[in-house]
Amino acid sequence: MYILGIGCYYHDASATLLKDGVVVAAAEEERFTRKKHDVRFPINAIMYCLKSQNITVDDLDYVGFYEKPFLKFERVLYQHLEYFPLSLKTFLSSIPSWINQKLRVMRRIRKTLKYKGDVLFIQHHMAHAASTFLASPYKKAAIVTVDGVGEWTTTSYGVGDGNNIHLMKHIAFPHSIGLLYSTITAYLGFSVNNSEYKVMGLAAYGIMDRKKNPYYKKLLKVIDIKEDGSFRFDLRYFIFQHADRMPSKKLCKLLGGPISSRDSEMTQRHKNISAAVQLITEDILTNVLKHVHKVTKLDNIVIAGGVALNSVYNGKILRNTPFKNIWIQPNASDGGTSMGVPLYIYNTLLGKKRKYHLKDAYLGPSFTTKQIKKFLDSNKIKYSTFKNDKELVHKTVELVSGDNVIGWFQYGMEWGPRALGARSILANPCNPKAKELLNTKVKHREKFRPFAPVVCEDDALKYFDCDLPVPEPTDYMLMVYPIHKKWHKKIPSVTHVDGSGRLQTIRRNQNHLYYDVIKTFGKKTGIPILINTSFNIRGEPIVCTPYDAYKCMMGTGIDYLVIDKFLVKREDNPRDMWDSEKYAKD
Amino acid sequence: MKQFMNGIRQGFGDFGHTIATIVNTVLLFIVYIIGAGLTSIIAKIFGKRFMKTSLHKKSYWTDLNLKKEKMDNYYRQY
Repeated sequence: MYILGIGCYYHDASATLLKDGVVVAAAEEERFTRKKHDVRFPINAIMYCLKSQNITVDDLDYVGFYEKPFLKFERVLYQHLEYFPLSLKTFLSSIPSWINQKLRVMRRIRKTLKYKGDVLFIQHHMAHAASTFLASPYKKAAIVTVDGVGEWTTTSYGVGDGNNIHLMKHIAFPHSIGLLYSTITAYLGFSVNNSEYKVMGLAAYGIMDRKKNPYYKKLLKVIDIKEDGSFRFDLRYFIFQHADRMPSKKLCKLLGGPISSRDSEMTQRHKNISAAVQLITEDILTNVLKHVHKVTKLDNIVIAGGVALNSVYNGKILRNTPFKNIWIQPNASDGGTSMGVPLYIYNTLLGKKRKYHLKDAYLGPSFTTKQIKKFLDSNKIKYSTFKNDKELVHKTVELVSGDNVIGWFQYGMEWGPRALGARSILANPCNPKAKELLNTKVKHREKFRPFAPVVCEDDALKYFDCDLPVPEPTDYMLMVYPIHKKWHKKIPSVTHVDGSGRLQTIRRNQNHLYYDVIKTFGKKTGIPILINTSFNIRGEPIVCTPYDAYKCMMGTGIDYLVIDKFLVKREDNPRDMWDSEKYAKD
Repeated sequence: MKQFMNGIRQGFGDFGHTIATIVNTVLLFIVYIIGAGLTSIIAKIFGKRFMKTSLHKKSYWTDLNLKKEKMDNYYRQY
């Protein structure tokens, strides 16, 4: 039985294919169209899913969509009614896309895919809940979903038990933790639904002490937080309900200045504001989780929604709340809902036995050795071939320890926003200049943003102050933990200003080449840790194909590309037509 | 000649698109003023609020009670 899940038209369009209860393919549309956070109907991702199993749409038993479009439209109309006449501008700009696109999902599925079977619509937060609970290892768990907004819900909680999910309570739009974070993101001059993680990174440079941070108290005025974690905005501080901007003049006045421009330098004030919104988010989430534990009395917690990508807070959950185990899926934000939909249809609606536990994120397109060789040969690219895996591992370690920057292309592309060893850039964390080197050569990103370390799961506790046992979400770079103090100076390039690291743990059964490279690097240098950053240039999605990878390398300062069993040296090949640098943008 | 005709075609296309945008905007403006405006004013006269905005409740959690429903409900977009 094949079930296809689709999510699109808001941000991060994606598709997932389920075969007999097991996810066999999943990808986001942006990786194919090369447009970051692409919202359009994910035709390329769907085609990849079908092709990966050599099937056509006629083989699909169900297609599921990640929300109820008419319920969402009701909320949009209510916004216009509540805020008439202030909402005129957004009415004129947003309604055409509803009429032409968002309310015609069924027609689009039928017409574009030529699909005649059943199409089911699952509520947005149920799709989130299913994407995390039904892919988790737990038979029973408390569920919390937190994002910007679905149809009406912004935050919900409930219980997953066997095949069933019951979402009991919720908080409705416009009161939303995700939108609070996005409002501050916009206020600081970053792009909404894209750069929230930058605010999270910047927060560490601010005052993370509730009593000393002057903006913490100020921001508490905009939101009423109850002990049970429920909250409500003072809407005078926001205008996203009726405008295409988020902070109101009153919020600007409260924070002591106008909205920052895109290129403005980050001052201590910006850093303290980032720290304040991070602290408030942590306060709310801690209250929510304590309340949910009190209601459900369960030890396991699963979380989904864009706010579940707040890895700084995720690393504190088991210490700050009574929960004992945590699971978050790698694509926790809207992109991941296309996975929740088919799992919900198969397990809950059809009542079929749960068979799936997501154990690695390599669900995207992969390429055979033959395909890659053909690409290299047909483009007259100079390369060498490794005799075996051992040579590949040793040569890669030699290059990384020589402070080269390596493009690493193996296995199927990652599911979710993080590069996890399939489409990664690797570098030496012991080199104190590695951060500058990567920023100069490849990433061109803000100086305050840290690079992430990858460590083998069995070495994690030696270097990081992790929970015990190391939670599975660290495999997906979803937890930030303190780095033990004695290692700060040994791995300066991955130690953030507050002494933390957003680590990825890797297990050999997930990606043996990646694991072996890290272990061998450890044997050679005494530090079994590498820098792992996403294989892309700033403003572009992570690479998907060998073409994307080669183009990215040639346009940047990546020194070598290790692609399947081949090694390509940038300097051996002419740059001319492959210069991708000029496309770099925010 | 072919390039010239393509240019003309492109020009007409752009012109049509601009006209469509103007007509759509005018129509939507009328819908907004008459549809949304009247409804909003009448609702406000009768004290109807479309969003929950009041503060100082004991708890802001509200019932959702979302669980497995009849299969037919999932075929609906609402």
